Amino acid sequence: MTRDVFVFVECKDSVPRKASLELLSVGRQVASHFSSGLFAVVVGSGVKDAAQMVSGYADTTVLVDNESLADYGWDTYGSVLEGVLKKYEPMFLLGMSSMTGKDLFPRIAVRLQAAMISDAVGLDLEGEGIKIKKPLFGGKVISWLAPKADSMVIVTFRPNSFAVGNAGEKGPIVEEQFTAETNPGIKPISFEKTGSKKVDLQEADFIICGGRGMKAAEHFSMLDEIADLMGGRTGASRTVVDSKWREYDDQIGKSGKTVSPKLYIGCGLSGALHHIMGMDTSGVIVAINKDPNAPIFQYADYGIVDDLFAVLPALKDELKKTREDT
Amino acid sequence: MKVLVFIKEVADTEARIIISSDQKDLEIENKYTVNFFDEFAVEEAIRIKESLKDVEITVCTFAPPRAVEALRTTIAMGADRAFLIDSRNHESDDPLIVSRILAGFAVKEGFDLILCGRQAMDDESANVGPMIAEFLKIPHVNQVTRLQVSGNGTAEVQNEIEGGKKVSEVLLPALLTTQKGLNEPRVPLITGVMKAMKTEIAVLDPAAIEIPFGSIDRETSKILVLSYELPAKRPSVSIIEGASPEEKATGLVRALKEEAKVL
Ligand SMILES: Cc1cc2nc3c(=O)[nH]c(=O)nc-3n(C[C@H](O)[C@H](O)[C@H](O)COP(=O)(O)OP(=O)(O)OC[C@H]3O[C@@H](n4cnc5c(N)ncnc54)[C@H](O)[C@@H]3O)c2cc1C
Ligand SMILES: Cc1cc2nc3c(=O)[nH]c(=O)nc-3n(C[C@H](O)[C@H](O)[C@H](O)COP(=O)(O)OP(=O)(O)OC[C@H]3O[C@@H](n4cnc5c(N)ncnc54)[C@H](O)[C@@H]3O)c2cc1C
Repeated sequence: MTRDVFVFVECKDSVPRKASLELLSVGRQVASHFSSGLFAVVVGSGVKDAAQMVSGYADTTVLVDNESLADYGWDTYGSVLEGVLKKYEPMFLLGMSSMTGKDLFPRIAVRLQAAMISDAVGLDLEGEGIKIKKPLFGGKVISWLAPKADSMVIVTFRPNSFAVGNAGEKGPIVEEQFTAETNPGIKPISFEKTGSKKVDLQEADFIICGGRGMKAAEHFSMLDEIADLMGGRTGASRTVVDSKWREYDDQIGKSGKTVSPKLYIGCGLSGALHHIMGMDTSGVIVAINKDPNAPIFQYADYGIVDDLFAVLPALKDELKKTREDT
Repeated sequence: MKVLVFIKEVADTEARIIISSDQKDLEIENKYTVNFFDEFAVEEAIRIKESLKDVEITVCTFAPPRAVEALRTTIAMGADRAFLIDSRNHESDDPLIVSRILAGFAVKEGFDLILCGRQAMDDESANVGPMIAEFLKIPHVNQVTRLQVSGNGTAEVQNEIEGGKKVSEVLLPALLTTQKGLNEPRVPLITGVMKAMKTEIAVLDPAAIEIPFGSIDRETSKILVLSYELPAKRPSVSIIEGASPEEKATGLVRALKEEAKVL
C-alpha cells in the first residue's frame, strides 16, 4: 500500500462539484502531511473537461471515461472505482457525504475491507497520524476518530467542511480502462428530474429557510428571490414540508438534510432541536422571528425581532445593493 | 416470502448525553426510540404482508437487551417474529463489524427481501444497509420512496438519487433502505400491544451465529475512538436594533458584510 491520497470527484452535468474541490484542497494538506501524492479520480461519460479542470488541484488525475458510465449506479461506478483503488493502492480515499457517496462507498469499504468513517466535518493533522472529526447525535457531541493504520481508509465529508484553495499547475491526466459491470438484479425503468433547482441544498453557500411563520406556500417566492439573488437555495422546516408548501427535498433537520452553508437565514421558524440538528454547523446563523423568546435565537449569531413580512422586502433590497456593489 | 427488517434503537433527541471527565465515554439518558427511518421499513413490510399471501416478517436488532422494547413495538405494529442479537461484549464502533453480524443473521434466517432505514439518527453513518447487501452479494437500492413487490420475485422501486427520482425493477433477493415519504407508519392497536406483550423475543449470542464474512471480534475494529467533546458554542446572539424593519434589515446586512464578512 502507498501513502497516497485519492479524492473521488463527483460531477454534476459533467462539471466537478464544488465539494469535490473542497476535498482536493484538504487532500493536499493530508498528502503533504504524509509526504505522498494527491490523486483526483474522475469517473463518468464525457468528463474529460472535468478531469482537465481538477487536474490543477491534484498531482495526478485518474480518468475513466466511457459511455456505460453516463448514469451513476453503484454497480458500474463501484466496479470501476474498485479497479482503480486495487491498482493504485492508496492509503486514503476521500469522498462526499452525498446521496451518491452514501450509496457507493459502503460497498467499496466491504470490497476493500477498508476503515470507513462517514459524514465527517473536519480533520486534524497534528503529530503522526490523522484525526477525523465527526458529529454524533445531531451535533450534540463531537467525536474524534482515528483509523487503524493497516488498511485503506475511506472518509466521507459533508459539503462545506473545507474552503476551496487555488488551483496550481496542472498535473498529468492518466486515462484508465476499466469495464463498468452492471448488476443484473437492477433494471432502470425511468428517471424523473425533480425541480429545476440549480444549487444543491447541501452544497449551497447561502440558505434562506422558511418555517411555519411564512404562513402559506405562495409567500416562499420571497425567499426564492433572495436565494436566487445570492446564488443559494431556499430551505424549509418540517412543518412547512408536512403542510405541502414545499417539497421534502427542501427539508432541513434531523429527518431531512444536514446543511452547513456559510450563511444561513431562518425566517419564521422556532428553532426546534430537530431543526437545529440539521443546520448548527453553518458558518453564520441569522434568525428572523417576531417572538424574542423563540429558541432559534439561542443558536443564532444575529437576530432580528420583527414581522418577517416587513423585514424580508427590505432585506432583499439591501442584499441586492451589496450584490451590485461587488 | 420472507421479509427481514433491521432496526436500530437510538437515543431520543431529547435524551441528555454526558461526556465522561476523561472524554472517553458517553453516558446517555435512558430515553430510547426506534430509529425514525426504521419505522418506515417496519410499516412497509406490514403493507407487503397485507397485499401478498404467505409473507413472514422477521425483525432483528443488534443491541443490548433493553432494545427488546423496541422490538415489541414492531410486533405490536404487525411483525411476526423478532430477534435481539446481544451486543454486550461485541459493541463496536466499526460499521463493518455490525454489518457482518447482521449479514450473518440474514444468512441463518434466509430472506427474499431485506429492509433497513436510510440512516441511524445517532451516528448517521448510512453504511449498514449497503454494507450488508455487499456482504450478501445482493443488489441494494437506497432511499426508497415507493415500493411495489410483485408475487413473482421482482419489485418496482422508486428512490431518490442525485438530481431526481429513479424507478427501477429489482430482482429479489435485494436490500432496500427506506426514506420518509414511503408510507405513514401506523400506531399499534391495543390488540397488537397485547400480542406483543405475550410474544417471546429470542436473544441470540453473536458468537453462536455462523458469520462467514470475517471477524466480529472488537479487536479487529478498524476505527479508534480518541475522544468526545461538546461542540464549540456560539457567542450569544447579537440582536440588530432599529426603529423600523427597514433599518433592521440595513443593520443586519452591514453586520454580515463588515463584521461577519460573509457577504
Ligand atoms: C422525529 C422527528 C423528526 C423531526 N425532524 C425535523 C426536521 O428534520 N426538520 C424540522 O424542521 N423539524 C423536524 N421536526 C419537527 C420539529 O420538532 C418542529 O416541530 C418543527 O421544526 C417546527 O417548525 P417551525 O419552526 O417551522 O414551526 P413553529 O415551531 O410553529 O415555529 C414558527 C415560528 O414562526 C414565528 N412566526 C410566526 N409568524 C411570524 C411572523 N409574521 N414573523 C416572524 N416570525 C413569525 C413564531 O414566533 C414561531 O417561532 C421533527 C420532529 C420529530 C418528532
Ligand atoms: C464515535 C463512535 C463511537 C461508537 N461507539 C460505539 C460503541 O461503543 N458501541 C456500539 O454499540 N456502537 C458504537 N458506535 C456505533 C456503531 O459504530 C454504529 O452503530 C455502526 O457503525 C452502524 O452505523 P450507524 O449506527 O450509523 O447505522 P447506519 O448505517 O446509519 O444505519 C442504517 C440502517 O441500518 C440498520 N442498522 C444500523 N445499525 C443497526 C443495528 N445495530 N441493529 C440492527 N439494524 C441496524 C437500521 O435499519 C438503520 O436504519 C459508535 C459510533 C461512532 C461514530
